[in-house]
Parts: sequence; structure tokens; C-alpha cells
Amino acid sequence: MAPASLPTVLVVDDNHDNADIIRQYLEARGYPVSVAHSGEEALSLFETLRPSIVLLDVMMPGRDGWEVCRLMKQHPAHGRGVRVIMVTALDQWDDKRQALETGADDYVTKPIDLPKLVRTVERNAAALQGAA
Amino acid sequence: MNSPVLLTDSDDASIRDAAAMLDSWTVELRDDRALAAAIEELTDLRVIVTTTENPNALRDIVDRARARSLPVIVGCGSDMARRRAIELRVDEWFLLPASGEEIAGRVRSALARMAPAAAALADRIERVEYEQMLYDYLTGLPTLPVMIERSRALIKERGELIVLYFNFVRYSKIEEIYGWEKLDAVLETTAQAVREFLDASVLRSSHVMVSFTNDDDFVFFHVPAPGVAAVTDAEITELVPKLQDHVAGRIETTHGEEIASLFEIYVGRAHVYYSPKIRLQRLIYRGIREAANAAKSVEERERARRVDDLRRSLRERAVYIDLHPILVADTRQVYGYEALARGTLRTLRSPEIMFDVAAEADLLWELGRLCRSKAIESMHARLTRGELLFLNVDPHDFADPEFSQLDREVASPERVVIEITERTAIKDYPKFRERLKALRERGYRFAVDDAGSGYAGLGSIANLEPDFIKLDISLINCIDTNFIKQNLVETMVRFANDQGAQVIAEGVERAEEYETVKALGVHLVQGFFLHRPSEHAVQRTGETPVVRPPDVARVASGG
Repeated sequence: MAPASLPTVLVVDDNHDNADIIRQYLEARGYPVSVAHSGEEALSLFETLRPSIVLLDVMMPGRDGWEVCRLMKQHPAHGRGVRVIMVTALDQWDDKRQALETGADDYVTKPIDLPKLVRTVERNAAALQGAA
Repeated sequence: MNSPVLLTDSDDASIRDAAAMLDSWTVELRDDRALAAAIEELTDLRVIVTTTENPNALRDIVDRARARSLPVIVGCGSDMARRRAIELRVDEWFLLPASGEEIAGRVRSALARMAPAAAALADRIERVEYEQMLYDYLTGLPTLPVMIERSRALIKERGELIVLYFNFVRYSKIEEIYGWEKLDAVLETTAQAVREFLDASVLRSSHVMVSFTNDDDFVFFHVPAPGVAAVTDAEITELVPKLQDHVAGRIETTHGEEIASLFEIYVGRAHVYYSPKIRLQRLIYRGIREAANAAKSVEERERARRVDDLRRSLRERAVYIDLHPILVADTRQVYGYEALARGTLRTLRSPEIMFDVAAEADLLWELGRLCRSKAIESMHARLTRGELLFLNVDPHDFADPEFSQLDREVASPERVVIEITERTAIKDYPKFRERLKALRERGYRFAVDDAGSGYAGLGSIANLEPDFIKLDISLINCIDTNFIKQNLVETMVRFANDQGAQVIAEGVERAEEYETVKALGVHLVQGFFLHRPSEHAVQRTGETPVVRPPDVARVASGG
């Protein structure tokens, strides 16, 4: 059982394999993890699960990560409490600038470096603690 | 309908607890050999919870469950079992022993994930968006559709309605300068202050509703209570300046005077009489339009008055200079001062407003000349220890035929840093660079202001070969909790170090922001946390009184 103190993470990736690898890796470190495979599913799970951290893939069919991030951050009830980490293949200035404008808190680049991903999740978990 | 069934091979009490928490589900218990077969037989089956240690049995269960699109949740007694469960991509797993609560939670989460029966899902998203439409998420105020529904009966009964339209003129400017997080925070403060004020005003005793239409205007509906006379125009006229003072005061204590100085409000009024022949919605929208137009004409009158004020200020040289210290990040020693020109007349105190008025009246060159000349005067008079002067120059000013007047006034060009904003598009690049080169040869240095405000990245900054790079304020606001901002600033510092330039962080308002930019290697800092702009230079360098601004620490987190 995961210690209650670790925040719930929602992993959003239309690629099932990627999502599963991230999920296993985070679960092994005690994070309660849920997975969504599309923007729509992510928004619905966001409502029901109220995750504290969302790992959000930018490139998805339908509602892309930018749009999902904006909708989550604008959510009237839990938009303020969530930390959104964008997962993007792009690491350019304007990508980060765009991430900022959608309200994202952090980002990781693809291909995913799992230890780095965990450090990213950890520092956002710490920031949540600081804000609480 | 029969109650949903949870199929399991465990007779642990926690599973019965979970079923009870799930709104009285039925538990069907089978041993692990019979479990897989039961998946195909049971009607009303919703979920399978297994604790089997047998890998083949588990695979069989997962296959059959998948064929029926049912979620499988595995209780794992060992790390081995957990790994196996994950490899088989079961929908949820938990470690044994687990509480009924956790198991119920896992069931809910697995079901939620299975649910994307698209229709139901689209429905839910629509509902969320609809709710957002009805109540503004920032201010918590009801929006127009809600207001009309709620007040329909009241308006019919009273037969009249007064619409007040509040036009907040410069809120988009706040967003442009400080970023959307700051604007959100300011809007929240504004809505609260407006509500507070109106609750204590002549409109108090009657039925009153507030709504939020565009992103920076409020509409206020006042339905007089039965037997009470409607508020008169005179009363409204009297109310408006008080409201303006109240809101500006609240913004100043919460967000500082720079932002408060941008605050301006124009109020228009319309009186709507109920008519059963016209749809209520139409009446109300018409009233809003009329009130908005009234607000607009108040604004235009005010503008004309300001242009007159500006012409007078130019004639009388009625501009003064505030100095805002720029400090070395590590030592907090004063490095230089940014000159901020302000109008002596109250209506032109804010530089933003003064330059906006000048742009409208086509007096930008004239105002620019006056401000530069005053800034140079103040450098010679007040910066007696050879400190640098950071001087704001709009790229259009370089085209001013009288720009060279600056050079006649400046005694030592090497003490002047010309700040050029990245926001203004530079049209004729080669010519512009030529002018910079000529000034550089005379000893002037250059800073790119608002760097990183756009998407353009570092290329456009490199083009100007600046000696200083001044980061856009929106990158500094709440940088301590935003790792993307930290990354962007880090990139900028690395770039500056390669180019031999120094990075300045302005808008440092909190200790956390100061510590963060210092740790990121930013060379110079400026902001209310360190000093406020003042008419005087800092008395003794090295002594830097720390002014704590009002608590704005919770802007990003929102509490």
C-alpha cells in the first residue's frame, strides 16, 4: 500500500506502453498512479480522482496536451491544487513559453529518462507540500 | 435492476467492506479454479478482484475478463505477484493486506477508466465546461445566464432594473506586463473589493447581483426592493469615485502601487423598464449595451482631458524622475538606477498611462525627449558617485530627428545604459543596428528590456548584442514554484554568459523569488523586495533596507 503522504499521479499518454512504463516506475516508488490514454479520458479522471500531479503528453490525437492542461488549470474546484508536468518531444524556447502560457508547472522531454522523471515528480510533490 | 456483482476468490473481510462501500454490491466468492469460468457466467458482473498466486490462473482470468471488457484488480501478497500483475496489465493492483476503503477506491478508479463509453464521457466534459460558463472560475460570480434566470421573477414584480457597467481600462496591460497569473490575482482582488464596497453602499438594501462578462468588465444589476425608490443618477455619480478609491486601495495593499496606478474604472448606467412584449433577455442585453456605451463616453471625456493635461505637462516640463535601484544579486550593492518618468499631474502619474496618452495624441517623440532630458538631469544631480543610469528608450525614438540632443546633454556616455524593449517590433533592422553602433562607439551601453516575453527565443536578442538582458517580469513572478520559468531563466543566464552580457531580474517581489534568481546565476536584481522606486538615490551603498511588500506569496498557489 502506498504511504498516504505521496500524492496521486495521473499519467496521460496515448501510447499504452509509455504510460505503463511510467506507471510501473512511479508505483515502484510508492506513488498511487492512474493512467489515461486520451485528453478526454484525462479530463474525466481528473474530475473523479483529483490527482495532485498530472504527467501530460503534449502530442495526443483529439484534445492535445496544451488544451488539456489549460482546462485542468481552469477547473473551478481543483485547478489551483494541481501541478501539471508536460511531457514533450520538443525542448525549444517557444515550447517552454507555450507550456508557461497554458499554466504548466514543469516539463520533461522525450525520450523519457526515468530517474529524471522521478526527480521531476519529486520536486513538484515538494512544491505541493510547500503550498499546503 | 439487480445489484452489481463483485467476483472474487478471497473471503477476506476487507472485500466485503469494499462491496458495502460501493453502494451494496453483491460479492460472489469462487475458489481460484472456478473463478475464470464464473466470469463468463455471471450476469451483472462489474469487476473481478483476485488474490491468486498462480500465474496461469491469473492469465486466464485476465483474458476472459478482457473478452467481456471487465476490469481485473489484483491483490498482491508479494513483490513477485505485483510484478506479474503489472506485466499482465491488470487494471489496478494493491498490496495485501488492504483496507476495504482502498479496495473500493481501486474499483472506482478501474471503473472510471473502463467507462469511456464515449457518450457518457463527452457528457461529463460538457457539463464541466457548462459549469465554468455559469460561474466565473476566478471571481466566483454568477455569469449572465444564471443572473437572468435567478432574477426573472424579481424584475417582473418590480418592473424595472438598473444596469451598471464597470469598464476596467488597463487590465489587459497588467497581463501584458506581469503575465496572466498576476492578472488573475488582481481580478480576484477586484471582484472581492467591488462586492465588499457595494454591500456597504446605497445599493445594499436592495436586490443586487453581479456578473462577469468579458474578461475585464463587470456588469452589476440592481433591482430595487419593493417600496424603495430606484437609485438616482446623482447617487451613482457620487458612488463611482468612492468605489474607484476603495478598489485601488485594496489593489495597492495586495499588489503594490505600480499595479494600483494602472487601475482605472469607468462606470456607465442604464435604466431598463420591464415590458411583457419583449423577451427579458433582450431587454437586459439592450440595457447592458446602453450602459457600456455610457461607460465608453465617460472614458472618452476623460481621455480628452488627459491629452490636455499632457500638452500642459510638456509645456511646463511637468515630469519628474523616480530612481529604481538595480543591485548586484550576490552582494546587494547598488549597481545602477533605472529612471522612471512620472507625470507631476495626478492623472499622469503612471508612466504607462502617460505614454499611452502620448501615443494617442501623437506626442511620443515630444514626451520621450522631455523624459530623457529629465533623467539625464537627475543623473547629474543625484547620482554623484558615478552610478549607472538605465534609460528607457522606445525604438521609435531613435528615428526622432532630435534624438541626438541626448548626446549633447550627457556628460559621460559610459554611465548610460539604454534600455530597448523587446516588445516593440523593430521595422528597419539594418538602420536600427547602424544607429546602435554609432551610439555604442560613443560609449553608451545597451540593455534588452522584457527579454523572453515572446516566443522569439534568443536569436532576436543576440541580434542586438546587448550588454544587459533584462528578463520579462512575468518570468520572475512566482519563479520559486515554477520549474519551467527556472529553466528558461537558466537558459538565458547561460546564453548571456556566452555573449558576455549580464542578466537583470526585475520585478523581484518576494524573498523566495530573490533567492531563486540568485541561485540560478542571475547577475543583477531589481524589485520591491529590495527597493521601491524613489526620488532619491540610496544613501549609502551597501546598506540596502529590505522592504517587505504586502504578502503576495500566495498568488500562484491561490491557497
